[in-house]
Amino acid sequence: MTSSKRDLSPLVRKLGSETPLSEEEVAALMDLSSIVREVSPGEIIVHEGDEPSQACLILDGLLCRYKITGQGARQIHSFHIAGDIPDLQSLLLAHMDHSISVLRPSVLAIIPHHGLHQLIAAHPDVGRMLWRETLVDGSIFREWLSNVGHRSALSRIAHVICELVIRFDVLGLLRDMTLPIRLTQSEIGDAQGLSLVHVNRVMKELREKHLIKSDGMHIQILDLKGLMTIGDFDPAYLHLHTLPKVLCGTGTL
Amino acid sequence: MPTYYIDTDDGDLFLVDDEGIELPGDADARLAALRALPDMARDRIPDGDKRTFTVRVTRSDRTLVYSAVLRLEGSMASATADQPAGL
Repeated sequence: MTSSKRDLSPLVRKLGSETPLSEEEVAALMDLSSIVREVSPGEIIVHEGDEPSQACLILDGLLCRYKITGQGARQIHSFHIAGDIPDLQSLLLAHMDHSISVLRPSVLAIIPHHGLHQLIAAHPDVGRMLWRETLVDGSIFREWLSNVGHRSALSRIAHVICELVIRFDVLGLLRDMTLPIRLTQSEIGDAQGLSLVHVNRVMKELREKHLIKSDGMHIQILDLKGLMTIGDFDPAYLHLHTLPKVLCGTGTL
Repeated sequence: MPTYYIDTDDGDLFLVDDEGIELPGDADARLAALRALPDMARDRIPDGDKRTFTVRVTRSDRTLVYSAVLRLEGSMASATADQPAGL
């Protein structure tokens, strides 16, 4: 991954996949002033309690939203990939109620709030698209809540893998049914409220059922339909305008 | 950091840990093993009335560091418990 010219096209692609963007809207988005930064695993982009004056668009890599509990445990609230602006809420919510950190080497475009406010004033429809993104975030949180509240560990992990398969496929980043980004067992555990040892067990079980293959934590999906059944997974909560082709043959399309 | 091997059994699936986990010390290995117990129990209960959940931690040289057992023993109190079989 190089730091050569990086533009905001992942954002244009993501917003445009839901609602067609006009030429003016595309131009306005691409013209947003931003600073591109390469960031490393472990870096905390924004802390709980911060009052940021910028938002970060992910151009490449993997970040997460999380909170550390009073007992020192990490709850990962969501994973974020190219096209996501995990701290978009900071445009309207002054204080961060959670933190955002880097899980894999990533590239971010840091966009000052005032540029976004100006863009939304000039292009209110884009404002609605950005609002919609935060609403979809909410839907994903609700689904994760159902995971942690009522699904078995096997379901939870199958579910989160299915979600990432779909999200990467929408971006055109799923090759050979393999997630392009590594996920550690600790991250899966912290995301789905499971102990590390149990995540390890469940991953073995998913492999034994020939639903996935994984080595060094790159996960390749062998049977998406089976994984979706085990995961009690219905992509409707992702509110995708068009279901990605990876779902062909799974009975969803 | 030393490597610990945490074997687990939920009464259906006994898994030998062939990968190991690096942890700071024996106390952390104990915690990692114990945390698996309620997770395994949550997934299996209420399947069956009698189940034993086991975790066992060893070092690379196979010496035992820690082991724990969580047992489920359940039974319905029934007025028909004395009925002869076949009815």
